[in-house]
Amino acid sequence: MKSIRNLSPLVPLALALLSTGNTALAQDKAPTKMQASSIQILAVQSDEVKLPIEFQLALYENLIEQVQKANKFQHVYRDGDPAAANAASLVILHSNVYGFKQGSEGKRQVTTVSGATQIKVHCLFTDKAGKSELAQDVTGKVRFIGGNLRATYDFAKKVTQIAITNFQ
Amino acid sequence: MKMLRAYTILFAAAVVSMGAGSLAAPCLAQDANTGNGTSFADTKQVIGLEGLKHNVTGTLVAENGSLVFTKGKQKVVVPATSIQEVLTGKDTERALGGTVGTLTMFAPYGGGRFLSLFRTKIDTLSIQYLDPSGGMHGAIFTLTQGNALSAKKALLSQGARTSVPVEVEAVAQAKPKEKK
Repeated sequence: MKSIRNLSPLVPLALALLSTGNTALAQDKAPTKMQASSIQILAVQSDEVKLPIEFQLALYENLIEQVQKANKFQHVYRDGDPAAANAASLVILHSNVYGFKQGSEGKRQVTTVSGATQIKVHCLFTDKAGKSELAQDVTGKVRFIGGNLRATYDFAKKVTQIAITNFQ
Repeated sequence: MKMLRAYTILFAAAVVSMGAGSLAAPCLAQDANTGNGTSFADTKQVIGLEGLKHNVTGTLVAENGSLVFTKGKQKVVVPATSIQEVLTGKDTERALGGTVGTLTMFAPYGGGRFLSLFRTKIDTLSIQYLDPSGGMHGAIFTLTQGNALSAKKALLSQGARTSVPVEVEAVAQAKPKEKK
């Protein structure tokens, strides 16, 4: 009984220590945001898989639209825009498709469980000099509602979220 | 009983809309002013044209060295010489699309699933073009079946470029798909 009494003042101290430990851990985990005021989105490449042109173009256009909508960057430059060369703190997004499975809208609607479309893309953010700043694999999917091209919208949303999380 | 009646009405509406869709003939008309334009009515711009929403239906015209897409008062002009690539493809879409099509998912007794079995064949037309500052753009259109190659021909005649000639694409599309 005595020992419990002796320990009781230590409980708040232990809790306080635990909470500071957690915050320290959280601070360690919090990603350090990279500086970028503008972004250039390059055309989507598909060296490893044969990707239909409509998917290639929809990936690119959706990316540009979603990144513009996010309002994270002052300027969003398209591939080939010469103005990007003069932009300060520019980040360049390279996308390379390494996996593609074209599903079927009809199958999806009839069976619910099959016919999903999936696009796997390796995304690489670099600076002007080509130095890699961030690399991540992103998968765009459409499982139920919408046409096959909706997978490109899903991909664009995910990449935009990555940009929001990692750049300021 | 009420559910059955609603289902019957929904089914009838679907059948009528499918019938109307097949009756709509593709519009291929020569431009009256210049004699060198070709128009494609009921073309859907899926994505890519500046200033237009996704999936808007309008008229695609190839005339005076440009691609012109008109939707009501909105008009988007893309100079044909800025078009770097024109490719066509084939696809299918739900015969009963749009909001009504989505609402049919909630139809009882799997009615929505049954309706989604009815599909319309469509052609796709994808173009890649450069804006005046040199930035790359892509646009995707869907046209009624059998019109994409004509649209491609019309665009090429106006000055657009392609890596796959029309004849090659026509042969490739005529071949039946190999089963995996």
